[in-house]
Amino acid sequence: MKYKLLGRGIAYLLIGISSLIMLVPFATALMNSLKTYREYTTVPPRWIPEVFQWSNYAAVFKLGNIGGYTVNSVIVAGLSVAGALLSCSMVGYAFARLRFPLKSALFVMVLGTMMIPAVVIIIPHFMIFNELNMLDTLTPLWVIEWLAQPFGIFLMRQAFMNIPKEYEEAAKMEGCNPFQIYWRIFIPMARPTLATLAIFTFMGKWNEILTPVIYLTSNEKYTLPIGILSLSGQWTGNEQLMIAAALVSLVPILLVFLFAEKYFVQNHNMAGIK
Amino acid sequence: MKKRKGLYSWLAALLLVTVFASGCSGGGQKEGGAASPPKGEDGGKQVEILLGYYSSDSSDAKMKELIDRFEEQHPNIKVKTQSAPYGQFYQKLDTQIAAGQAPDVWLSDGVYVMKYAQRGAAKDLTDWIVRDLKAEDYYGLDFNKDAEGRYWGVPQGIQVGVLFYNKDLFDKAGVDYPTEDWTWEDLKSTAAKLTVDAAGKTAEDAGFDPASVNQFGLTFFSITEGWFSVMKSYGGGVLDEKAENSIVNTPENKQAFEWMVDGMQRGIITDPVDLKSFQSNTAVFPSGSAAMRIGIYARVQAANEAGLNYDVTLLPKGPDGKRVSPVIANSWVINQKSSDKKAEAAWEWIKYWATEDEVQKQWTELGEAVPVKKSVAQSDVFLKAGEQPANRKAFLDSLEFAQTLDNNAVWEEWVGKFNENAERAFLGDATIDQALSDADAAVQTVLDDFYKK
Repeated sequence: MKYKLLGRGIAYLLIGISSLIMLVPFATALMNSLKTYREYTTVPPRWIPEVFQWSNYAAVFKLGNIGGYTVNSVIVAGLSVAGALLSCSMVGYAFARLRFPLKSALFVMVLGTMMIPAVVIIIPHFMIFNELNMLDTLTPLWVIEWLAQPFGIFLMRQAFMNIPKEYEEAAKMEGCNPFQIYWRIFIPMARPTLATLAIFTFMGKWNEILTPVIYLTSNEKYTLPIGILSLSGQWTGNEQLMIAAALVSLVPILLVFLFAEKYFVQNHNMAGIK
Repeated sequence: MKKRKGLYSWLAALLLVTVFASGCSGGGQKEGGAASPPKGEDGGKQVEILLGYYSSDSSDAKMKELIDRFEEQHPNIKVKTQSAPYGQFYQKLDTQIAAGQAPDVWLSDGVYVMKYAQRGAAKDLTDWIVRDLKAEDYYGLDFNKDAEGRYWGVPQGIQVGVLFYNKDLFDKAGVDYPTEDWTWEDLKSTAAKLTVDAAGKTAEDAGFDPASVNQFGLTFFSITEGWFSVMKSYGGGVLDEKAENSIVNTPENKQAFEWMVDGMQRGIITDPVDLKSFQSNTAVFPSGSAAMRIGIYARVQAANEAGLNYDVTLLPKGPDGKRVSPVIANSWVINQKSSDKKAEAAWEWIKYWATEDEVQKQWTELGEAVPVKKSVAQSDVFLKAGEQPANRKAFLDSLEFAQTLDNNAVWEEWVGKFNENAERAFLGDATIDQALSDADAAVQTVLDDFYKK
């Protein structure tokens, strides 16, 4: 008993220390966001600013249209998450449970598209969205996610494969069609995976730079990352303000993470099976 | 089969919703590429051009003001703009060029003008420049001239290299300020007195430790604010006149490299590893960690922001008295694919930018670049633009012996290759001979890949 406690104490200590190490870059960023430009560039670097410049955060909100950028980012990230959850779970369900010709070949093709580097697809995408008159709108940034991206398909398929057949059979006896099985049984049971996909999609879209830069031209349509970048110039940036802005933009990610976390721990795939 | 009906109708509904939603989010805005110019009263004289530029928050507001003023003066031209932060601007531009959707006129970094020219994206402006601009009124029209004598752009603002020096550090060491007679050797011997290690010893003292330098004599990196002017003033260089062949492996370059490598090994000049310990390559001088730097005009902003007590002078001469300053002329470029009507409207914009004193003055006040119009550059608008640096005339004088950075279609690629090899010499991982012959081969390969195909 004593030894067990001791072992546990050591484990917690190690975990605690490694968490602190993980926090160092974040803490450095926080400290840098509270410096004057002069303090920021001084060598040797001072870790803790002499006077905490909380005004940097006020300056960020005065500098650019941060509120507007945030709204755009929320629209893009929100619609992307909705689209990814719906489309990927549907396709994933089809691959996991339905029978149709060429199923395996199609699935291999879907995985194959993951091998194509994103950069190669940019120009064709750009031309298609141009034909659709969607340049300088937020649409190209989220509509892609409604078309079931391969990573999400793979993730959902794996989750659905793990759901015991008994549920499905029981539901069929009750007279459910495949769509009802998907909607009433598979979706609720795959919540942890859906939460994972939601977080991945949200973070990806929230931090994305290349796509918004290519599709958006007017400042009022900018999303946060390029909005923040536009605060700095070609030659000189108030880097300390950029860091403050970047930290502000982290808040929503933390909120989404905290919100989705409770689904991670709920994993009751085995409920109701004897 | 009946069972599936629910799924299909649902899918159809979802598709409809998606299409409908995306159709609405356009907000009724027409995209420049697809929009036909609105017909004016006079039977379609109205023309709309798309103007692309990179900007920061502060310059963006000024640019918009100048565009509004332009539209007032030219009621028949409507200007749509597209701007992006500098780092992302070119990704977007290159995508648009590939898709045939590029702006009618855009602001190009000086080092990229030849890339757009030689890849067929930029319009040849020679006839218009000869017709409308008096060469002697401007700085730097020739910076966009190719070996055949054709012009591909008109400068928007000029960056030229000078020697920045921190007066406080000179005073503290009791050393005389740099003069215009300096050679690179003079610079180095003075820089040695201004190089201080952790124990407070200078590079001239016995027991000086080059591994623990706290204050460098000269900060130095990459091409523009590093090796370019040294190599050139020693009589060397990287590319030949046509910028299609490497001339790296020469005795003159070897001499220049000996000067640089010696300085770095003695701890006087920042080497690539030293630079890693700073927030950025450009932060060394403003933070007071270096007594001198080779710097372009834009560096004035950070130095003033940091509250330095500093001034500028001409860059030193080579052993034979040759002097070379690096120059980058950021320029307006017109799209090769634009219709004649749009190209002419775009030219109106360029003319407005270059010839109007008011525009030149307003842009100068931002403090980002040396104005291209001589009358404005030589007036108090530029020369008395701020307290510091006092000797702003040095920027204008440097334009007399300024050279562009061997710009060509593959500029970024060859500079990358050259830097890789130069760094090995700077860090002592390769002998100078070895580094130069490797750089020569690597640079030539990059050039041949483009020019010999």
